[in-house]
Amino acid sequence: MPELLQLTVDGVALSAAIEPDRTLLRVLRDDLGRTGTKEGCDDSECGACMVLIDGRPVNSCSYLALQAAGCEVTTVEGLAGVEALHPLQRAFLEGGGIQCGFCTPGMLISAVALLARDPDPSEDAIRDGLAGNLCRCTGYQPIVRAVQRAAAEMRGETA
Amino acid sequence: MSESQGEGAEPAVRPWIRPDGQAKATGQAHYTADLAFSGLAHARLLLAGRVHARIIRIDTARARAMPGVLAILTQDDVPERRYGSFDFVLDRTLFARDVVRFEGEVVAAVAALTPDQAAAAVAAIEVDYADLPPVLDVEAALQPGSPLVHDAIATYAHDLNLDPAGNLAGRSTIVKGDAAGAIAAAPIVVSERYVADMAHPVPIEPHTVTAEWSGDRVTIQSSTQVPFYARTKTAEVLEIPEHRIRVAVSHLGGGFGGKCDFHFEGHVAALARAARRPVRLVLSRREEFLAPDKVTHAMVVDIETGLNEDGTILARRARLILDCGAYASDTPILGQVASMMIAGPYRIPHVDIEALSVYTNRTPSGSVRAPTGPQACWAVEQHHDVLAARVGLDPVEFRRRNLVRDGDEGPTRQRHEGNGAVETLERAVAAILAGGPLGPHEAIGVASGWWFSAPGPSGAFVRIEGDGSGRIVTGAQENGTGAVMALPILAAEELGMRPEDFAITYQDTDAGPYDGGSSGSQTTFNNGRAVVEAAREVRRQLLELAAVALEASVADLELRDGHAGVVGSPDRRISIAELAATAHGGALLLARGSGMPPEAPEHDASMCVGRLGFESFAAPTFFCHAARIRVDPATGIVRTLKVVAATDVGRVLNETGALGQMTGGVVMALGNATTEGTVFGADGRQRNASLLDYKLLTSADAPEIEAIFVEFPASNGGPRGSKGVGEPPIVATAGAVANAIAAATGARVRRLPMTPERVWRAVRTGDDGAAEANAPFGPVPIGAAAGG
Amino acid sequence: MTTRFAAPTTIEAALAILSADRDARPVAGGTDLVVAARQGRKPLPASIVAIDRIAELAQHGVSDRALVLGGLTTHDWIASSADVAAIWAALADAASIIGSPATRATGTIGGNLMNASPAAETTGPLIVLGANVMLRAIGRGSRIVPVEGLAVAPGRTVASADELLTTVIVPPQPENSGSAYVRLEYRRAMEIAVVGAAARVTLSDDGRIAAARIALTSVAPTVVRAPEAEAALASGTADPSTFRAAAEAAAAAAQPIDDVRASAEYRRAMLVVVVARTLAAAVARARGEAIPMPASRWAHGQEV
Repeated sequence: MPELLQLTVDGVALSAAIEPDRTLLRVLRDDLGRTGTKEGCDDSECGACMVLIDGRPVNSCSYLALQAAGCEVTTVEGLAGVEALHPLQRAFLEGGGIQCGFCTPGMLISAVALLARDPDPSEDAIRDGLAGNLCRCTGYQPIVRAVQRAAAEMRGETA
Repeated sequence: MSESQGEGAEPAVRPWIRPDGQAKATGQAHYTADLAFSGLAHARLLLAGRVHARIIRIDTARARAMPGVLAILTQDDVPERRYGSFDFVLDRTLFARDVVRFEGEVVAAVAALTPDQAAAAVAAIEVDYADLPPVLDVEAALQPGSPLVHDAIATYAHDLNLDPAGNLAGRSTIVKGDAAGAIAAAPIVVSERYVADMAHPVPIEPHTVTAEWSGDRVTIQSSTQVPFYARTKTAEVLEIPEHRIRVAVSHLGGGFGGKCDFHFEGHVAALARAARRPVRLVLSRREEFLAPDKVTHAMVVDIETGLNEDGTILARRARLILDCGAYASDTPILGQVASMMIAGPYRIPHVDIEALSVYTNRTPSGSVRAPTGPQACWAVEQHHDVLAARVGLDPVEFRRRNLVRDGDEGPTRQRHEGNGAVETLERAVAAILAGGPLGPHEAIGVASGWWFSAPGPSGAFVRIEGDGSGRIVTGAQENGTGAVMALPILAAEELGMRPEDFAITYQDTDAGPYDGGSSGSQTTFNNGRAVVEAAREVRRQLLELAAVALEASVADLELRDGHAGVVGSPDRRISIAELAATAHGGALLLARGSGMPPEAPEHDASMCVGRLGFESFAAPTFFCHAARIRVDPATGIVRTLKVVAATDVGRVLNETGALGQMTGGVVMALGNATTEGTVFGADGRQRNASLLDYKLLTSADAPEIEAIFVEFPASNGGPRGSKGVGEPPIVATAGAVANAIAAATGARVRRLPMTPERVWRAVRTGDDGAAEANAPFGPVPIGAAAGG
Repeated sequence: MTTRFAAPTTIEAALAILSADRDARPVAGGTDLVVAARQGRKPLPASIVAIDRIAELAQHGVSDRALVLGGLTTHDWIASSADVAAIWAALADAASIIGSPATRATGTIGGNLMNASPAAETTGPLIVLGANVMLRAIGRGSRIVPVEGLAVAPGRTVASADELLTTVIVPPQPENSGSAYVRLEYRRAMEIAVVGAAARVTLSDDGRIAAARIALTSVAPTVVRAPEAEAALASGTADPSTFRAAAEAAAAAAQPIDDVRASAEYRRAMLVVVVARTLAAAVARARGEAIPMPASRWAHGQEV
């Protein structure tokens, strides 16, 4: 039996009638048209599907959509303002943190979650904080550097 | 236009922002699975699930009657055409015909209204199999009397340089001088065996293909690295002219070679035609491990070197057995590449290296990033450390004495240019030693190597729009490296414009001229030349217009800062925008670039057999990787602390892009070398077809990487003497780590990947259980190599 | 296929559904259940009771010197709690290395225990720390089950289908005791224990080992105690040779299997290493030495 799911995605209140076995990733992509969040595996191992649910990082491929009822879901598509990119997005862009880009949406979400709980992470803390997001292109180093730069900017230490 | 730039000022150094970056950073970039279609149907493949069996019966009747099923196809529903990669061996059909030869072979395909319905229908297809004896060991496969992977191989069409027979898909040699004689006379001879397992490319985006028909034309959106090749093969197997097929790539989520060649475009196009709807296929991660027939080669390397007491290499013999899996794919050509890698960038007067490409019932191997390079370099660079120890030389000094220098001769007598091999060694060693004294169980290892650039045909158009902005239209494919995204740098340099003044139309066979795709590190090398050539023609057109406008001679004009101007007369200039406006009232600013690919270096391959084009390495990149590692001897767990990758790329054209290839290549190589590697069951099926058990390194595991670029431009290179940069960084890391493990523990690991268990075993026993290691090098023990 | 879904907000409501609907299964974070379904290993239950809205199950804290964790307590909370790190360190060692940050933010202690994986990270620590769980069913009230007796086979526990794990209670720890959990891991994150060991060691006033409890991960169908190793430690001096002897006793008694992650031979050998290193960490903590969290990273730099 389809159930009515109501939630907020990137600041917009949405609703959809869905079967209870559907994952949040499928609902975001297929029912709500939010394809920024990617599917790279089926066992929560790659992190491409990462979203925030009420600020908490979640592998949306392994999360039942109905469990997000009433929650605030943030995807990569909700990070930028109309005018300006999120500092993390800009740092990824300027620091070579993006190659094929398929891991980027999940990587950015994990970085947002990391900096929310630790605004001044050590390099090791960044590497641990992003360890649930596989990237095959960059070797991670440009991404780690980008997070360091964005964190400094978000702390107001650099322009 | 750069109005804000002062006269004569150099443009400020700014970070390179890839043109597709913002779309990727915001989630707006659509990958193939993100594309929307009206009435989309969903495809699912029925994979064999067993490695070698005769198909007795396929019954799709029950599946066809299931709800939502639109079409079910088997080989009976498509033209009976055998094909093969680059026509080396035409050994396969689109769907299995009579026999399945590997676990992931496609037996049937379903299109249904929903993914669940497609899956249910696949499960309802009845197939009766009679299992055949699996061929799983390359050496046993070469013995007379071995079961055959292809019992009708004698009837297959093939490249005339190959002589496929038995389980042998191809044989090639790289020969110079008299290696046997020189080894017989050498004071010191060392023979060893190294064995590498198969590994996967693992792009994070799984293979995805959509097809939509409009009349007799089909548009295929595919996650391919090679749109033109995919079009050619689709045309071939479905017997459709190429101009009725459009292959386009939206954004590609990585490939690493796994998305080279022709995969599922034919299946999905045929399904969409039968279903009379657009159809989309997305592989699950498990399917991604099983079905795409592109993995790195499992390889057996027997290598023997004769040398003098002073460490001078006198001669080398080697025999390489490449496991090409169930279908030849492009392995026959890669046997040549592997042989060139086993010779390496070293001065070796006498060389005799043989490569055998052998069929087994495993996943077909092929062009994964620097195919055969990492395994071959890992083997030969460990061998070089063994040789160094044998003559009491430091590994660095041994390499210093033997690496090629400017003017030295290669394995088939090509002349080397520049001192990139030695220079990268010195720079890498200096940088890794700067890391300070070694802690307990820490050690340093180095590995040197080379890799080719791949000259090939490639085309591009450049045009200037009416407002003075530019557009590059190219057939080239962007796989994430940024090679296509950086093409504007080349055009802008020719035209005195800024890279951001150019838009790019790319990876669409209906739009751009032919390109070989993102394979073989060839995009900048070949398409870069095409863009430069087209831009130069536009430059000529602009200067002619400017000459009229400025009443000056073309010879006195230059393009810079968005203007055409008279050299030395800052006041006499006109903006490119104004010239473009003029052109849009007359002859358009529009040009094409293509031109002949650089020729292979002069060489002598008269003694080689199985010649398919890699008897020499064009514009070779030289490199040395130095790794600092720490081994936990009790567990065998190796932690790589730092890797220095020093590379002679000829000329750095885009530092951000080149650095990204280095950091990414090294970490992919480290994963391949330590935590990855496919594990097979006794039945030949993959046992770790998931990302939990096929372990890519995470950010927490990845070491610090220092990239050093050395520039010895190639005379027959890409733009400005550049060489290929995408593949080289993955080649030498495993060898450097292996040598560091041996230095730290005294034990040599001769199996790849060097998993903790193998390292532990090597530490305990002084060896890793590769019983044949140090076995005497004998004649090839095969009957089948000659066709049995 | 799942056709029924409920998200009750009270324990009673959840129990009522579990009692009335025999197909109903509780889901907390869903990190294991949905993955198993997507991989085709085990279909989703026909009826799902999402328990993640039950505030009572999310309560946690120290009460009467015991650690009381509602079943919904996340690994994240456990890993970042100063109390857990100070008193029940083995549990923090385990919680901090489960999966990835997302796994730890969503995964729960109740889910980890009830999933009954032989590789579950938190089970061993809870066993050596002497933890119990409360299982509650409608009409039968609550019963207390030691964590040691909870799992009976891979994926199976003593709980009946209508029972819900409500609380995990970890008792106060003995004076002069310390605990640790160490696993063998091929990579530093997104990992599953190849083998793992948890230990709690209590020292006597003269520094000898007064008591020890050891539990082993990934060497049997469930996480198991290692009585042979514990016996080998009894009254021993707290030094590497004793740790080694105990570790060898554990390995000799274990029946590890060959699988895709390791051969039985390697597992057995690694059990020696991991048990010895776990004991070294636990003893160091018992002596009041600061061993960084997680102990796994510290331990694998040790010469044991």
